[in-house]
Parts: sequence; structure tokens; C-alpha cells
Amino acid sequence: MPISSKLFVRSTLALLAVGLVALLAIIGTVIYLGEQSQVYFNEVLEAREGRTAATDLRNALRLAETSQRGYIITSNETYLESFSLARDVLPERYEGLKTVLQAYPEADGPVAELKQTIDSKIAEMEQTIALEQSGRHDEAVEIIRTDRGKDLMDNAITFLTAVIRAADERQAAGVNQQRANAEWLRWVSIIGGVLIVAVVGGSALTVWRYTQELVAARDEVSVLNAELEERVRLRTADLTLANDEIQRFAYIVTHDLRAPLVNIMGFTSELEESVKSVRALLERETADDDPVAQQARIAATEDLPEAIGFIRSSTRKMDGLINAILKLSREGRRTLKAERVDVNKLVAAGAASIAHQLGEAGGEVKLDVNLPIISTDKMSLEQVVGNLLDNAVKYRAKERPLRLHVRGSVAPGQMIVLEIEDNGRGIADQDRERVFELFRRSGVQDQSGEGIGLAFVRTVVRNLGGDITMNSVFGQGTTFRITLPRTLQLGSTSA
Amino acid sequence: MTHNPKPVTIIMIEDDEGHARLIEKNIRRAGVNNEIVPFTNGTSALDHLFGADGSGAVSAGRQLLILLDLNLPDMTGVDILGKIKSNEHLKRSPVVVLTTTDDSREIQRCYDLGANVYITKPVNYEGFANAIRQLGLFFSVIQIPETN
Repeated sequence: MPISSKLFVRSTLALLAVGLVALLAIIGTVIYLGEQSQVYFNEVLEAREGRTAATDLRNALRLAETSQRGYIITSNETYLESFSLARDVLPERYEGLKTVLQAYPEADGPVAELKQTIDSKIAEMEQTIALEQSGRHDEAVEIIRTDRGKDLMDNAITFLTAVIRAADERQAAGVNQQRANAEWLRWVSIIGGVLIVAVVGGSALTVWRYTQELVAARDEVSVLNAELEERVRLRTADLTLANDEIQRFAYIVTHDLRAPLVNIMGFTSELEESVKSVRALLERETADDDPVAQQARIAATEDLPEAIGFIRSSTRKMDGLINAILKLSREGRRTLKAERVDVNKLVAAGAASIAHQLGEAGGEVKLDVNLPIISTDKMSLEQVVGNLLDNAVKYRAKERPLRLHVRGSVAPGQMIVLEIEDNGRGIADQDRERVFELFRRSGVQDQSGEGIGLAFVRTVVRNLGGDITMNSVFGQGTTFRITLPRTLQLGSTSA
Repeated sequence: MTHNPKPVTIIMIEDDEGHARLIEKNIRRAGVNNEIVPFTNGTSALDHLFGADGSGAVSAGRQLLILLDLNLPDMTGVDILGKIKSNEHLKRSPVVVLTTTDDSREIQRCYDLGANVYITKPVNYEGFANAIRQLGLFFSVIQIPETN
């Protein structure tokens, strides 16, 4: 399936978007899971603090009770030291536990109760120790025997043990959550990683395929290009060949047509000479009234010369036509030579050559050329300008003096434009294309000519790589517009 | 040519009989009375010049002046010119190419092959007659070598 560039851009963007989303999801999850870990860690820390505080308080209580009992049993003063030590830390330990449990409002009641229990216990223990110190050992034992102290102690221990267990449970739960958290993190990382690898792989694959297609397309284009060049070359060769053939054909035809003309002209002359001698003979015998001689005389003096005259004029005309074709064909075969041509000077020279005829008729030429130096075949351009100026003089309007205006301008595409405008008799609409055809003429036929001027001009201009067009209003004037390349490309235009 | 012991024969190879006739008339008008042998195609002219064996030995000892048209029905005059100028018996005979062709390449080619004179037939009859008459005058003064 070929990938269009649009599809390529779309799929690449889509893959990039998927990759970005995956990356953001991974980052978000990691941040979230990190936060969670922090929370769990804090909880575990709190639980440990609570446990430590509860344990410390319990131990202190136990130490105090053990020391009290030891003293009462043995009356050994060293137990009192341990007792006072334990008793002195109890409030501090209690405050510690209370601080930890402040976060749990539901524990406020039991904690307050614990305070009373501890205080009662201390009071009980101090009472028995005071009795023992004052020698009233039995009373002290009696108080212990009431089990009030033991009950208080059991209450306190039960509560503290519950606190410790709760702390243990919370610690275990925290660790479990932390573990689950780590598990989550692992899976998210694995899935995200897989996703990113897939996206990168997909992008790389798309890029690779697209590049392959581009390379293939480029190869195809270069192959087509080469084919096209070859086709153009072949076509150009064909055209050149056809053109050569036409030129050759025209050349051969004109030469073969000339051969019979030589005969017609030649024998007409011979005939004329013969008629002259016959006429001389007949004219000598003027007295004769023989009707046959009379007819012969008419034939020799009128009919034959008339016939010969028509044969001659027709042959001459035909010779003119053949020469015209020959001229065109020769122009096609002439090798063009590109050289620097100053169009301004060339036009001025052309205008100068018709100045005499213009002066006679009271006309004038206005030159407005101002063209840059171009590279073209000078002789061809001279012929073109000369022909057009001659035409302007030849076909001027008899009723007004000729006004010729030659203008030059630079056109896009490295072209120049030369316009020759006259106020002559103009060319009728229906003759617009005809005037460029060989042997065709337009308007009143009061000028001699074979009708090859414009056909020749067009052939020459096209040989130079340009073209000629015409605008005309019948009875008002004509403008010929010649377009020429600023640089003549040899080889493409000349045969 | 009157001082030549053997009379010079003019070989005229011209396919157009009208042209041949006009050429002959105008040469005669110039006062040239030598024998003119006309041929209207290349094959018969070559037979005459080179003989049946094609060696050209048949022309040995003749004094020939050849008038040659280039456009012949069976071959081009250029080929005939080449054959004449490369044959040891005929190569010294002057060849005048008289044709309608005025292509500069063709003219160069004929001179390269050894043509002695190249004349383009003018269509205009006065010009044509004039040219042939002058050619006749030219014939009457040039020395023609004997072939060997």
C-alpha cells in the first residue's frame, strides 16, 4: 500500500501523540506512586513511633511494679532506686504516647482513662512503699492482696498491648501497600516501555517505508525523464528529417521544373526568330493579293507574335514563381550565424534605404526602437525589416502621405518585440492569414510581385526562433509585430 | 581547333533533348563545327566512352570534350564525372558540367572530382544562349589533349 505524504504525516503525528501520552502516563503514575510511597512510609513510621511509645510505657510500668514488689518482699533499698527511676519516667512516657495517639480522636477517651489508671497505680505503689518504710509490712501486703493494684496494672497492660497490636497491624498493612505499590510501578513501567518501543518501532517502520517509496518514486521519475528526453530527441530528429525532406523536395522540384522552362523559353525565342524571317519574306511580297498570302501575313505579323508574347509572359511568371519557391527553400537551407546585432542601427539603415521613395511621396518614418543588443542572424533580420518597410511603401494609401512608426520593446521570456506600424491601405479581415501564404496577395493588384514577401518574412522569422503577427484595419493601416528571442538558439531552428 | 591533327569530338550527355538541341544550335552559332555526339542517358554514354569491357581503352587516342548534365534519368552526372576522372584513358579529357543545379555543395563536389568547368544553365533564354555561345568560343580556343 503506497503511503501518501499526507497519510505519512498523519500516521507519524499519531504515533508521536501515542508515544507522548504513554510517556506522560508513565511519568504521572510514577509521581503518583512515589507520593503514595511517601504516605505509606509516614504511616509506617508513625505506627513504629506509636509502638515504641506504648512499649516504653508498658516496660516502665512493669519495672515500677516489679521494683515495688521486690522492695516489699525483701525490704531491700536498692529496689527503691529502680522504682523511683521508673516512676519518674512514667509521665514523660505517657506524654509521648499521648502525642502519638493525638492523630486518633477515637483514642482520646481510653488515653485519658489510662492516665487515671497510671496515676492510681502509682498512688497504690507509693502507698505500699510508704507503709513498708514505716515498718507496717503487713498492711502493705494486705493492700497488695486486695488485687486492686493488679487490676489497675492489667487494665493498663491490656490497653497498651492493644495499642501495640494496632501499630503492628498498621505497620504490616503499610508494608503490604508499599509492596503493591512497587508492583504497580513495575507493571506501569513495563507496559509503558513496551508501548514506547512499539511507537518508536512503528514510527521507524513508517519512515523506512516512506523513504523506500520516495526512493522508488524518484527512480521512476528519473526513468520517465530519461524516456521523455529520448522521446523528445527522437521527435526532434523526426522533425528535422521531415524538414530536411521538405526542403530537399522543394529544391528538387524547382530544379526539375526549371529544365522544361529552359526549353519553352529557348524554343519560343527560336520561334520568334523564325517568325521574323517569315515575316520579312511575306512583307517583301506586298503586291500579292492572294488570300492565302494575306492570311499568312496576318498570322506572321499579328497572331504568332501575340501567341509568342503570351507564352513568354506566362513562362516568365512561372519562372518567377519557381524562383520564389527556390528562394524560400534556400533560406531554409541557409546556415544561420548568430552575431551581436544592434537592432536600432539595423532599423535605421532599413529606413534610410526607403528614404528616397518616401521623399517622393511626402511620407516620413518615426523610429522609436531603443532595443538592447541582441544575438541573431543579421542578414535574416535585415531581410525581414527590409521586406516589411518595402511593403509599407508599396502598399501605402494613395490619398495620404505615408506615416511609418517603428517601435521596439523588451518582452518577458528573454524576447524582444519590434512593431512596424503604417497608415497604408490595410488588409481586409478575410485576408489576414492569407497574406502570409505563398503566392497569395491581398487587395487591389496594382503592384508587381509574386506574393512571396510575407511568406518569406514569416519563414525567416520562424527560423530565427520568433514569430510574426499582424493587426490591421482595412483602409486605415497595418501593424506587424515581430517577436524574437534575444539570443538565437542555433541547432534547434536551422535545418 | 583547326590546328589539331585529329578533330575534337564533343560528347554531350544531356537527357533533355530540347536542351541538347538548344545547346547544339548555340554552339554552332559560335562557329564551332566539330562533331557533337549526343547521349540522353548515362548508360549509353558510358558504353561509348568506356567500351563494352568498361576499361576505357576504346577512347585511347581520341580527343574528347565532354559536356555533362548532372540530372540524368538512370544515374547522376556526378558518378559519370567520377568515373571519367578516375580512368587513365579519359582523365585528361576536359569535362564541362552544364546543369540547372546551383547548389554550392554540388559545385564543390564536382570540382573536387576534377570537373574543369561548372556552368549553371540560366533559365532566361538570352542568358542561356549567350552562355552557350561563349562556351563555344571557349571551345574554339582551348587545346584538347589526346587521350592515351
